[in-house]
Amino acid sequence: MPDRLIRWLARLLPGRARDEMFLPACQDLRVAHLRAAHLRAAPRGRPARGRPARGRAWAALVLAVAVLWVDCWRLAAVARLERWAPRSARLAVEAARRRPSPAERSSMFLAQIRQALRSFVRQPLFAIAATLTLALGVGVNTAVFAVVEAVLLRPLPYPDADRLVVLRHRDAPTGRTKPDIAIGDYVDLAARQSTMDRLAAWAGGRATFIEGGETVAATVLQVGPGLLDLVGARAVQGRLIEADDARDGAAPVVVLGHALWQSTFAGDAGVIGRRLQLGSRDWQIVGVAAPGLEFPLGQAPDLIVPMPMPAAAPAQRRSRWVYALGRMRPGVSVEAVTRDVEAVAVQLEQEMPAKNQGSRYYALTERDAIVGGTRTPLLLLAGAVGLILLIACANVANLLLARGVGRRQEMALRVALGAGRGRMASQLVSESLVLSAAGSLAGLAAAWWTLPALIALAPPSELAPLLAQVSLDARVILLAAGITAATTVLFSLISGLTVRAGAGAGASRVSATAAARRASSTLVAAEIALAVVLLLGSGLILRSFAKLMAIDPGFATDHVLTTAITLPSPRYASDAALHDFYRRAFDALRGLPGVEAAGAAAVMPLTGNNWTTGFARADRPLPPGERPPEVGWQVASAGYFEALRIPLRDGRLFGPQDTPGGALVVIVSESIARQFFPGERAVGRRVRLGGDDAEIVGVVGDIRRASLTDVPRQDLYLPFEQAPSGNAITLYLRTSGDPELAAPAVREALKQIEPNVGLGAARSMARVRDASIAPTTFAMTLLGLFAAVALALAAIGVHAVTTYAVRQRTREIGTRIALGATPDAVVWMIVRQGIVVAGAGAATGLGLGLIAARALTSLLHDVSTTDLPTMTGTVAVLAVVATTACYLPARRAARLDAARTLTSPGS
Amino acid sequence: MKDRLPDLTHLQFVVLGALRESEQPGRAVRDALARYGVRRTAAAFYQMMARLERARLVEGWYEQVTVGDQAVTERRYRLTPVGRRAWDATRAFYARAEPARARWSDA
Repeated sequence: MPDRLIRWLARLLPGRARDEMFLPACQDLRVAHLRAAHLRAAPRGRPARGRPARGRAWAALVLAVAVLWVDCWRLAAVARLERWAPRSARLAVEAARRRPSPAERSSMFLAQIRQALRSFVRQPLFAIAATLTLALGVGVNTAVFAVVEAVLLRPLPYPDADRLVVLRHRDAPTGRTKPDIAIGDYVDLAARQSTMDRLAAWAGGRATFIEGGETVAATVLQVGPGLLDLVGARAVQGRLIEADDARDGAAPVVVLGHALWQSTFAGDAGVIGRRLQLGSRDWQIVGVAAPGLEFPLGQAPDLIVPMPMPAAAPAQRRSRWVYALGRMRPGVSVEAVTRDVEAVAVQLEQEMPAKNQGSRYYALTERDAIVGGTRTPLLLLAGAVGLILLIACANVANLLLARGVGRRQEMALRVALGAGRGRMASQLVSESLVLSAAGSLAGLAAAWWTLPALIALAPPSELAPLLAQVSLDARVILLAAGITAATTVLFSLISGLTVRAGAGAGASRVSATAAARRASSTLVAAEIALAVVLLLGSGLILRSFAKLMAIDPGFATDHVLTTAITLPSPRYASDAALHDFYRRAFDALRGLPGVEAAGAAAVMPLTGNNWTTGFARADRPLPPGERPPEVGWQVASAGYFEALRIPLRDGRLFGPQDTPGGALVVIVSESIARQFFPGERAVGRRVRLGGDDAEIVGVVGDIRRASLTDVPRQDLYLPFEQAPSGNAITLYLRTSGDPELAAPAVREALKQIEPNVGLGAARSMARVRDASIAPTTFAMTLLGLFAAVALALAAIGVHAVTTYAVRQRTREIGTRIALGATPDAVVWMIVRQGIVVAGAGAATGLGLGLIAARALTSLLHDVSTTDLPTMTGTVAVLAVVATTACYLPARRAARLDAARTLTSPGS
Repeated sequence: MKDRLPDLTHLQFVVLGALRESEQPGRAVRDALARYGVRRTAAAFYQMMARLERARLVEGWYEQVTVGDQAVTERRYRLTPVGRRAWDATRAFYARAEPARARWSDA
């Protein structure tokens, strides 16, 4: 690769710099690189340290070649300047070699800054326009970078956080993934894997206990051996959970979270050794965790308890799902861990085909697990704001070009008064620095102001704790400083070009104007191209959003209120107590005014849930060793179907006859009926459920359960009354009016039945639906906003360049009008030129946009990246905006007074 | 005879001195300069060598060398007769200048 890079870079250098400097120096770099590689390999007789060391050496070589290339250009430019410089300049260089003292230098610099400030005060419109445009570019970039930095770059608050990985389950036949793994598989994976120092299991949950006569609801973190080490937990009192606590038969112990210790136990050190009743057991408090422990990220656990670990992997592989967190050995990649656990999964499949057929595991870094699908929209956003910055720079560059041409006289005067090239250049650099610094400072202020709004727009997700840390810290300010430096160089070069063009003889004035106009048109075309890229992207997302909104999930999302409830475990330890509560609750809720139906279910639709179970007909048992096909499952009451209006296709819904001790019944979705009972009636047939058979009593419509983009599912519904559903469940209520208005009455009714009931946030189903497409909404809102800004900037650019062209051509236009050109002809002449520039920009932008749109693929639903209506719409919007931007100065030109124009001395 | 200042700069004198005994690859010459505290970027060094070549003080060519199992070329240099004479003349100038300096300091 470096050979090709060297050849390619060499071609871009002037002949002498290439042959005399670049090529011999490159050969030296190659020799040094090969010697180093040889030395690394030689002592042990093998390529030492593997790919990372080689990769770093290659990267270093490529970097060195790039630095060399830049240096060759620098030396070539210096040599060229030395040849070009007139004698006076050479003398000036000689004089300049007497380096001024630091004090002289700083006073010269301050004087130039003052001069730059004065020149901007004389032209306030230019200064304000340029500063605001830059501030916009810098502001959105720093704001988005602050988010990118907090979410993607800042280390997680765990020791060796970059080596933490989570394991996830993938069902190979369907490709569906789950964040958790069966405990049996976990035990085998932990024993057989070889790429991780440690693999630990954990699970989360909620519990209630009674302290001082009050019911306390607490979050519980169940930890397997080693987990607390992985997350860097410490104890401030007593001890943490140890490996012995997880053994079968160990006494139940609990560690208090620091916040709970402070709030509920008033930080009492004597709490160690006391007992706490959780569920039906007494737990001994053995320690208090140090403050700052957050696991999962953003959640400080109230109670930490050991996760019981079987001594040997249990044969049951389809129950007790746990999460697994591991730490990679140093130098091991995530891909290597995935290969490792995949190999173990294949072994398990061969050993237990009936249970583990198609069961696979993969690793992803803890950060990727948290960031998930947000990485793409975030990077997309970073790209979009990068484009905005480029557009802003192009606009300011355009302003500078126009100003530069207007300042030719001033520059000529300075040269005549003896200002050398160096002095002129430093003057232009000072002006650019003042401009860039003002823009960047205003941009930082804008970022500080817009950041909270940006964070508020972000979809609620596991990212919330990372977003909470977003701030304008040193790295962000460094970025703003970097942008300032880059724009200073850019603007100095542009100013330098115009001055150089203007500093020539008087005869070259016309050509200098034409050159500036050409440069200006090119910049505007580039701006339009970039705006088209953004417009196209936001158009595609908008189309995708419209299609998502039009999807029928198979159930009604309007007029449905959902709320999660948790019952205090000591009082509801038995199924009978639970069902008694639910029966009374449903009766009370149905009696509320405006409530049409009330039900409950375990899984909230549209929240990404992928619970599955094996499906088999009782009359056609599977051959031994074959794994049954997976279908989704849900525990639901009859009211759930009524509340969500999931249509009943055949048979009946669950009823009072489906009691806990009665005959087992299930309801299936119509695609199960179609696939497993083709040509026959599913109702009345029996399916195998674990060791028992259950009768199908009804067939309901398919729904899109995990998300709107999910395919309509095969789902199996177990009756709420017969399936163990625990003390945490979600209620669904159909209301005649606004569902969220019914929330207080629902709360009140439930509290009357059980004062200690834990109530989650009440959300309408429509809100759940909106949350499920939040990443698309987020990307659409921001891309739309940025596209509008880009379009506005491009329109300003087109307007400015047309106005400038009209001003330059005043005399010509006057002549044309004097010779009989009609106003329409003048307008058309000017608009035509603007349209040519806009057309060239649009064509380039469409090409670039088609390439860039590929990055959007993961956010698009049912819309191709080459969607014709979107492209047509983009071009139409652009055509209207560009034509309007050209038309305004063109109309002014058409109204010129020919006589006055031709006699005016300035024209 | 009037003693003229030498045509070679200090830097050129050191470079030619490094090549006086035998031909050398460019890297070795650059290392020799580094020992005198002269640090140049690779590009600046080869630019200087190219100027010495154009002044016919040194002669440069590419030669193939083998590192490990890979063949690469490197730029080598040797002193031309013109370069040798220039170095000798400069050396002689400093040799004469030394006693003169001693006389001044005695006075």
